[in-house]
Amino acid sequence: MNLKIDTSSLGENMSVIALEGEVDVYTAPQLKQQIITMLDSNITNIIVDLTNVEYLDSTALGVLIGGLKRLRERDGSLDLVIPNPRIRRIFEITGLDKIFDIHQTLDEAQNAEKVKGG
Amino acid sequence: MTPQDQSAVVELKIPCRPEFVGVARLAILGVASRMPFSYDEVEDIRLAVGEACTTAVERAIKANQTDTSLTITSEIADSRLTIDIVDQVAKTPPSGSEENAPVEGLDEENIGALLMELLVDEIKIEPTPGQGTRVQMIKYVG
Repeated sequence: MNLKIDTSSLGENMSVIALEGEVDVYTAPQLKQQIITMLDSNITNIIVDLTNVEYLDSTALGVLIGGLKRLRERDGSLDLVIPNPRIRRIFEITGLDKIFDIHQTLDEAQNAEKVKGG
Repeated sequence: MTPQDQSAVVELKIPCRPEFVGVARLAILGVASRMPFSYDEVEDIRLAVGEACTTAVERAIKANQTDTSLTITSEIADSRLTIDIVDQVAKTPPSGSEENAPVEGLDEENIGALLMELLVDEIKIEPTPGQGTRVQMIKYVG
């Protein structure tokens, strides 16, 4: 299974990247490119929705950390939606759950972003 | 299955390229599923093997050696699963480039190594007699 990427805008500087499938050494460059495209369009708040992600590895984590770092430099944010306990566990055992804001649902993430955005 | 402790070996050889790592993961999922591991343990094994293959593939890309192959050998025993991941990527001298320097100690390689350590019971990484690296992982049943 490959990776499917859907994007949607939630306002002028906020977007959602919804992923479906596997994010690994083969497909993670697509996610990286998508984040770079959004950064180039001055989008500063990104929600990455991992609800339909079946597998994720360190390459994907590296891309997400890189994205978070670049967005924070611009006072932006990168939040994650991870309802799947198996995927969430990867963030927990690596300690990355303390670095990312992780939400159960896209609604929850959107509300959190609105609060952050003032 | 015979009652005595009879081990079986499953070997898979793939090109050392990103698009084949998923094939190795699927194969190990099949192997681990035949053993009395829990659902979570099978997932852990899949991720650990995926990380080992990814590390090899990334080294192959850096060394411009993606024409080499990667061999994944699983030895199934009653009490444990032993997986050897052997690449043929020759060591290259460090480039001295800071381009891929770790960011706050959180680079992919570190995370990959950390995941492997956490997901299997034993892990050993050593150079092969030829030119390459062998990663051996052991997961015990129960």
